Amino acid sequence: MTAPTREVLLLDDDRWDRVLLATKGEAAACYQCGTCTATCPWGLVAGPSIGVRSVMRRAQLGIDGWAEAVWRCTTCGACEEHCPHEVPISDVMLGLRSLAWEERSVPHGLSGVLWDMHWDGNPWGRPPSARSAWANGLDIPRFDATKHSVLLYVGCTASYDRRGQKIARAVVSVLRAAGISFGTLGDEEPCCGDPARSLGNEEYFKRIAQANSHKLAAERATDVVTVSPHCYDTFTHYPGIGEAFRVRHYSQLLRDLVAERKVSFAGLEPTKVTFHDPCYLARHHDETEAPRTIMAAIPGVSIEEMERSREETLCCGGGGGRMWMETLPEDRFATSRAREAAGTGASYLVTTCPHCISCLEDGASVAGARNLKVMDLAELAVLAGIGAAAPTEASR
Amino acid sequence: MTRELHTLVCLKVVPKSEEVGVDRETNTLDRANARSEINPPDMNALETALALKDRFGGRVSLMSMGPPFVIPTLRVGLAMGADHAYLLSDRAFGGADTLATSLTLARAIEKLGDVDLVLCGEESSDGATAQVPPGIATWMDIPQATYAMDVDFEPGQRHLVVTREVRDGEEVLDVPLPAVVSVKVSCNEPRFMDTGRFALLDNEELVTTWTADDLGVDREHLGLAGSPTSVAGLKEAAQASGRRRELVSGTPEEEGKILYERIIEFLRGAGTRGQEAPG
Amino acid sequence: MIDPAYSPQEARGIWVFLEQDAGVLAPVSLELLAKARALATESGAELTGLLVGGDLAALEATAAKLDLDRVVSVAHPLLTQFTAEAYAHAVDQVIRTQKPDIFLLGATAYGRDLAGRLAVMLRTGLTADCTDLALEAGTGLLLGEVSGFGGGVLATIRCEQHRPQMATVRPGVFPEPAAADRAAAKVERVNVDVPAAKCLVKVVARHRKTGVDISRAERLVVAGAGARGEMPNIEALAQALGAEIGATRVAVDEGWAERERQIGQTGVIARPKLALVWGASGASQFTCGIDQAEMVVAVNQDPEAAIFESADICIVDEVAPVVKALVAELQSHGGAE
Ligand SMILES: Cc1cc2nc3c(=O)[nH]c(=O)nc-3n(C[C@H](O)[C@H](O)[C@H](O)COP(=O)(O)OP(=O)(O)OC[C@H]3O[C@@H](n4cnc5c(N)ncnc54)[C@H](O)[C@@H]3O)c2cc1C
Ligand SMILES: Cc1cc2nc3c(=O)[nH]c(=O)nc-3n(C[C@H](O)[C@H](O)[C@H](O)COP(=O)(O)OP(=O)(O)OC[C@H]3O[C@@H](n4cnc5c(N)ncnc54)[C@H](O)[C@@H]3O)c2cc1C
Repeated sequence: MTAPTREVLLLDDDRWDRVLLATKGEAAACYQCGTCTATCPWGLVAGPSIGVRSVMRRAQLGIDGWAEAVWRCTTCGACEEHCPHEVPISDVMLGLRSLAWEERSVPHGLSGVLWDMHWDGNPWGRPPSARSAWANGLDIPRFDATKHSVLLYVGCTASYDRRGQKIARAVVSVLRAAGISFGTLGDEEPCCGDPARSLGNEEYFKRIAQANSHKLAAERATDVVTVSPHCYDTFTHYPGIGEAFRVRHYSQLLRDLVAERKVSFAGLEPTKVTFHDPCYLARHHDETEAPRTIMAAIPGVSIEEMERSREETLCCGGGGGRMWMETLPEDRFATSRAREAAGTGASYLVTTCPHCISCLEDGASVAGARNLKVMDLAELAVLAGIGAAAPTEASR
Repeated sequence: MTRELHTLVCLKVVPKSEEVGVDRETNTLDRANARSEINPPDMNALETALALKDRFGGRVSLMSMGPPFVIPTLRVGLAMGADHAYLLSDRAFGGADTLATSLTLARAIEKLGDVDLVLCGEESSDGATAQVPPGIATWMDIPQATYAMDVDFEPGQRHLVVTREVRDGEEVLDVPLPAVVSVKVSCNEPRFMDTGRFALLDNEELVTTWTADDLGVDREHLGLAGSPTSVAGLKEAAQASGRRRELVSGTPEEEGKILYERIIEFLRGAGTRGQEAPG
Repeated sequence: MIDPAYSPQEARGIWVFLEQDAGVLAPVSLELLAKARALATESGAELTGLLVGGDLAALEATAAKLDLDRVVSVAHPLLTQFTAEAYAHAVDQVIRTQKPDIFLLGATAYGRDLAGRLAVMLRTGLTADCTDLALEAGTGLLLGEVSGFGGGVLATIRCEQHRPQMATVRPGVFPEPAAADRAAAKVERVNVDVPAAKCLVKVVARHRKTGVDISRAERLVVAGAGARGEMPNIEALAQALGAEIGATRVAVDEGWAERERQIGQTGVIARPKLALVWGASGASQFTCGIDQAEMVVAVNQDPEAAIFESADICIVDEVAPVVKALVAELQSHGGAE
């Protein structure tokens, strides 16, 4: 049986209250200028673009299928960059998703992602005992606060995804080249909770965050470095963040190492690269310079910017839990993105997020961009022969 | 006025299959390092029950026979929306084969007195006999429908319409209540639990534990004592964990031939045949 | 111990349930016959086939030609269509009077339903979904090999004190016997009582499966991007194997298969016994959909392809010649039931 059909659309105050509560009243400032709709990347593909006001209205009226647009949102934040009233639209969408969970208007397969997190501790349904298999042969020590300054938080995708595993290994090479003392939590590493948060199950996310905060405290970890911008962003929503421990994306750590001349690169043959800014660094955390500083330090690399770069970046399509939802070929942002990247004449499309890598590699293959190699910044750093800095003039 | 539907779901808490092995020294099962989960099709049975409750109201109870350590796992079922859980736990229940297991469950369900519908999973991931649901139905002398893909209810008539999978198709059955129905794995999508409720559940209030004495069944009919079958041997299947990654090479014709042989051998069950554990 | 219906001393002979549907015998019943005959020869027991149904005249003649010593035929109008309660009630009466030592059934939906009920009515042991049967040296007890824990553990089960020793056997485990060259078995008709109170469940409709649902397919033939141009052969292979077609997202995007056939993270998580994967690179988004398969075969021309990490049998070759060779092989053997 389906949900009761509504023949008359009644303004249901009670329902409006629930919509407001779920979205924490954040959309109150919206005055329907439509900028969000105009800047939504869904406008670039076949599917209809998303506007915060119409989504709220449909949610309020409980119109059949009201949640459809809410689930399509990649929480890329492109709209937020331009919203004149600074409505945190991604958060509003996540709030509406929590309402959709209550009403069970959830796309097929997403309950399964949360069950996988519950039973297996990761959204890929893989056994915890295989979590550190990515590090086979690397001899990475178990984190010990008395010995290590950095806790490397690998994350589920870089731990289990075959492509992601290569990124994790490259990040390890980077940290080793820089002589950073670090460890990981091995098979005990918990999921940071990103899928629960980005799929709008706030309640579940809070529980994970609480448990993990205790775990990190017990480990006496004070400096957490992540492979994925999604984990990085997720940790910033933890209670006690900043007080007990700080969290950085590895590109931020590497930027500092470059700036402090603790690492240097052998360099590449003259190579054009273009950089795809992950939404969760460029927009959600205003971090656009770290990767560019690093690339600029690599001899031989020249950066060809795409038109949509830095905070204007075009989402790969994998954020907001979209990694667990099917996107039809004509709706994949990554295909346009790969074309845009190929158009710069670059031979490497560099980014620094495992989800972006999955989507962009797929996009490059669909777009037929055969000469474009998609790689993570850490992989570029390894390719460019990252090493401990050569002695400088001063120290000589 | 029709009485509200009381659905009881039999949940078995099982070890994760990939984490179970055979101890080479003692030839016994080694599940020391295995995590527990709810037997996957039982999650589908519970979803079926909760969907009926959403539509027609009524109550959903859970029942499980197992050691007390399964309680935290049963809480998951309560947090999905079940109203109460019954745990059948006693040393006397240990070592039960399907005859004794289904007797124990049937007598406990009868003790409740007002159960209209008993829902089970099609089979467990550990023993995998699929015999417990027909067993419960027979001990209770009520009808059964197994391998259900869809369960619909006619409230006024107290009948179920069950679509079930048979050899080369589907069969639609009209099943009067009370009855036992077992459902196919992945016939629906189990709703995620309410994690807030999960954390706040009061075990004392929501989980009732019954022992052999509570059921009033002759102890000789329970557990190992009441089981006509026994395990004569145990071994780990070849390549129990991980992929074999056997490389087959030759001309395409040779490869096709070897592939054919491997497939036939596997389909005949030879593929699951293992090495006898020494000792 | 629960009292058995009769003692081991009274029990005689091996029985096989000849499962039939609309007058056609289930293949597994025939497969069972060859094995049962071997056991009967070993123990010197008589081999009996049990037919149950509405009108069995035609089937009795068919059964009499099988490699059986005796056919017991139980016909009743209320047994025309299989329902577990009615069948169990009827067979219970026959077993109690004829007291077989061993009773074997196919582990089909009907066979498992019937066996599960009957074992409780007879208060006896039942070994489920056997992949092999043998007689124990010395005692002559039936040993059933069963698998558990997702196929990771094999157990041998026996039933010492209770009779009949019951077992269901997995279809496809034993080969079908060659035609028997023996005198026709004698057919014995047995009357049973089938009270209406045991016929509460009604079969309202029967139909073939409709729509695509590869999540429950037992066998899958999966096309990846490397199967370009080979879909006719992939389909022929699926046909010969009795398998469903699955596809990677790239293959679905190409329009080679419907979206419902996409396997993986945003498609279907399949749990087949057997998956044959042609020309897929092995991206995690795909392999998570076949990780639960019991056996995976992968064919890819690239020896470095990640798909080989997820495969039990790996063939480094082009799709086209290997798929053709396998189809030819299957066709020359009349498929793989
Ligand atoms: C490898 C192996 C092989 C075995 N083979 C046999 C055999 O051939 N014959 C035999 O008699 N016994 C056998 N057993 C023992 C059997 O597993 C136990 O009797 C078990 O208690 C019930 O059987 P099952 O797990 O096969 O359940 P199934 O009949 O497969 O389970 C079907 C459904 O019944 C319900 N259910 C089953 N057990 C419980 C429970 N404890 N609590 C609540 N609900 C439950 C669940 O809804 C479940 O989905 C075997 C055990 C193992 C480990
Ligand atoms: C958010 C997201 C969700 C996704 N969800 C899914 C999903 O659910 N399911 C899914 O499948 N993918 C999914 N993908 C895509 C996935 O990442 C891969 O791109 C895809 O699985 C690759 O498909 P493929 O192996 O068929 O193609 P390719 O990666 O192109 O591989 C083709 C392979 O065939 C081999 N080959 C080529 N020609 C031949 C030949 N003649 N003979 C033999 N071998 C040959 C090649 O060596 C290569 O290894 C998803 C991606 C994203 C970003």
